[in-house]
Amino acid sequence: MVKTSNIKKKELREYITGDAFVLPVLVFIFLFIIWPVIQSLVLAFFRWDGVGPWRYVGLKNFVKMFTKEPLFYQSLKNSVIFAVVTTFGEMAIGFTAAVLIDLGIRCWKVYRFIFYLPVLLSQVAVSLLWTKIYAEDGLVNTLLGVLHLENLQNVWLGDPRFALWAVCLVSMWQFGGWHMIFFLAGMQGIDPQIYESAKIDGASTLRRVFSITIPMLKNVFFIITILSLIMGFKAFDMIYVMTSGGPAMATEILGTLLYTQAFDVQRYGYASVIAVVMVIIAMLFSMFYIRLSGYQKEAVE
Amino acid sequence: MRKFKRNEFGGFLSNSFIQICLIIWATVELFPILWLFMSSFKPPGEIRKVFALPTSLYTGNYDFDKFREGGITIGIYLRNSAIVASLSLLILTIVVLLAAYGIAKLKVTGKNVIIILLLGLVGVPVHSLMIPIFYFFNKLNMLDNIWGLVLPYVAFHAPFSTLILQSYFKQFPDELIEAAKIDGCSNIRAFFTVVLPVSLGAVSAVTILNFTYIWNEFLFALVMMRHNASKTLPVGLMNFKGQYLIEWGPMMAGLVVAIIPTTIFYFIFHRNLIKGISVGAVKG
Repeated sequence: MVKTSNIKKKELREYITGDAFVLPVLVFIFLFIIWPVIQSLVLAFFRWDGVGPWRYVGLKNFVKMFTKEPLFYQSLKNSVIFAVVTTFGEMAIGFTAAVLIDLGIRCWKVYRFIFYLPVLLSQVAVSLLWTKIYAEDGLVNTLLGVLHLENLQNVWLGDPRFALWAVCLVSMWQFGGWHMIFFLAGMQGIDPQIYESAKIDGASTLRRVFSITIPMLKNVFFIITILSLIMGFKAFDMIYVMTSGGPAMATEILGTLLYTQAFDVQRYGYASVIAVVMVIIAMLFSMFYIRLSGYQKEAVE
Repeated sequence: MRKFKRNEFGGFLSNSFIQICLIIWATVELFPILWLFMSSFKPPGEIRKVFALPTSLYTGNYDFDKFREGGITIGIYLRNSAIVASLSLLILTIVVLLAAYGIAKLKVTGKNVIIILLLGLVGVPVHSLMIPIFYFFNKLNMLDNIWGLVLPYVAFHAPFSTLILQSYFKQFPDELIEAAKIDGCSNIRAFFTVVLPVSLGAVSAVTILNFTYIWNEFLFALVMMRHNASKTLPVGLMNFKGQYLIEWGPMMAGLVVAIIPTTIFYFIFHRNLIKGISVGAVKG
C-alpha cells in the first residue's frame, strides 16, 4: 500500500512537471488568440466607435452586412477568386519546378535555392517593388514597348479589369517556391526503384510523372491545397499595399474590408461581423485539414 | 535522409530542354530582385531607363538622413523592427521549446486536447483578432508600445512552431534521456544538457522561419503602431509609397534594406532551413 501511494505521488509530480512545461504556451494562446476570438464574436452584436461604450444592437450588424452591403459579397467573391487562383497557379508552378529539380540535373541545388528565396522576402517589399514594375513607365510597359507591343500597355493596377489578376501574379511569383519545397519533400519518400522499373518497362519521363509521382503524392496535394487556400483567404499585405482594395473595389477582399470598416470608418462592431465570417471559414478549412491529416496518420499505421 | 537520386536521363536534348525551362523560370524569379538592387544605385535621372545598367554606383539613395518623414528615418524603422523581432524570438523560442518537449516526452494532462487545439489554431485568421487586441492594448494605453506587438507575435507563431518541434522531439531517442536520468538528472536538466544541444539544427530552422514571419509582419504592426517613431520597417516603407511616387530611388533603397536581413539568413542557413521544412512537412 505504501508502494502504491509512492507511485501515485511520483506520477503526480511528473504530471506537474509536464504541465509546467506546457503552461506558458497555453497562457499566450489563450490570452492573445482564444480570448480575442471570443471577443470578436461578441463585439459583432454591438456598436462601437472606438471612443464611447459598447452599445448592444443584437443582430442588426449581421442583417445589414448580409442584406445591405454589396461590398461584403464583392470582397467575399474577390477573396475566393484570389485564394483559388493563387493556390492552383502556385501549385502548378511549384509542382513543375519540383519535378524538374527532382530529376537531378546539373545545378539542381542552385535552382532550388533561387526558387525558394522570394518566399522569405517581405510581402510589403515585394508588393512595393511590383508597384513599380506595373507602373505606367515601369518594367512591364517598357518591356512591351521594346517588343513594339505598345497597344498592350496599360495602367495595370489602376484598371478594374486587370488589377486583381495582376496581384495574383505577384503572389504566384513569390510563393511558387513554397509549394515546390513541400512537393520536393514528398518526392523524397518515393522509392527510386519504382522509377527504375518503369523506365525499364519503357515509360517516358512524362509518363512516369503522371503515373507514379502524382498518384503517390496525392496526400501532399490535398494538404497543400488546403493550406494554400487558408493562406489565400488570409491575404492582406499584398493587396493593401498594391491597391488598397481599389480601383473601384475591384480588389477588395475580406481582410481589407475588415480593416477599412474598423480603422478608417471606426465601425468596430460592424467590422466584427466580417471577423466572424472569416473565423467560420477558417474553422471549416481547419476541420477539413485535421480530418485529412488524421486519415494520413491512420494510413501510415 | 536520402540524397536526391541522379537520373541518367535520356539524351542531351531532354536535358537541355529541362535546363532551359529552369533557366527561364530562374530568370523570372531573380530579375525583379536584381532590378531592385540595380535601381537603388541609380541617380534620379537614370531610374526611368529601366533596362539600363547603372553607370556608376550612386549611393545617394541610401543617404537615409536626407529622406525623412516627419523627422523619422529608415534607421529608426530598422531599429524598431530589430527590437521587436529579437524580443519576440527570444520569448517565442523559450515558450515553444518547453511546450514542444513537454508534449513530446513528458506527461501532460489533456495532451490530446492540446494537440488538437494547436492544430486548429494554426488556421485562425489573425485579422479577426486585430480589433480585440487593439481594444485590449488601447485600454492599457499601450499602443505604440513594443509589447503590444511582441506578446501577440509570440502567441500567433506558437502553435505552428510547437507542432513542428514536438514532432521532431518525438523522434528523439529516449535512451539518451534515460541515460542522463540514470546519472541523476531531473527531466528539466536532461532537457537542457542532452536534448537541446543535439536539436540545434531543427530549432535554428524554426527560429529562422519565425524571424522571417515576424520581421515581415505587416497587419498588426500597422494597427498597433500609430506614430511614425514606433513603426516597424514594413509599415514605415508604406510612407515611401505615397511620398516617393516620382523619386523611386529612395524607396528602392528602403526595400533593399528591408529584404537584406532575411536574405542574409537565407544565404547562410538555407540548407538547414530546407531540411527542417522538409522534415516538418513529411512528418507533421
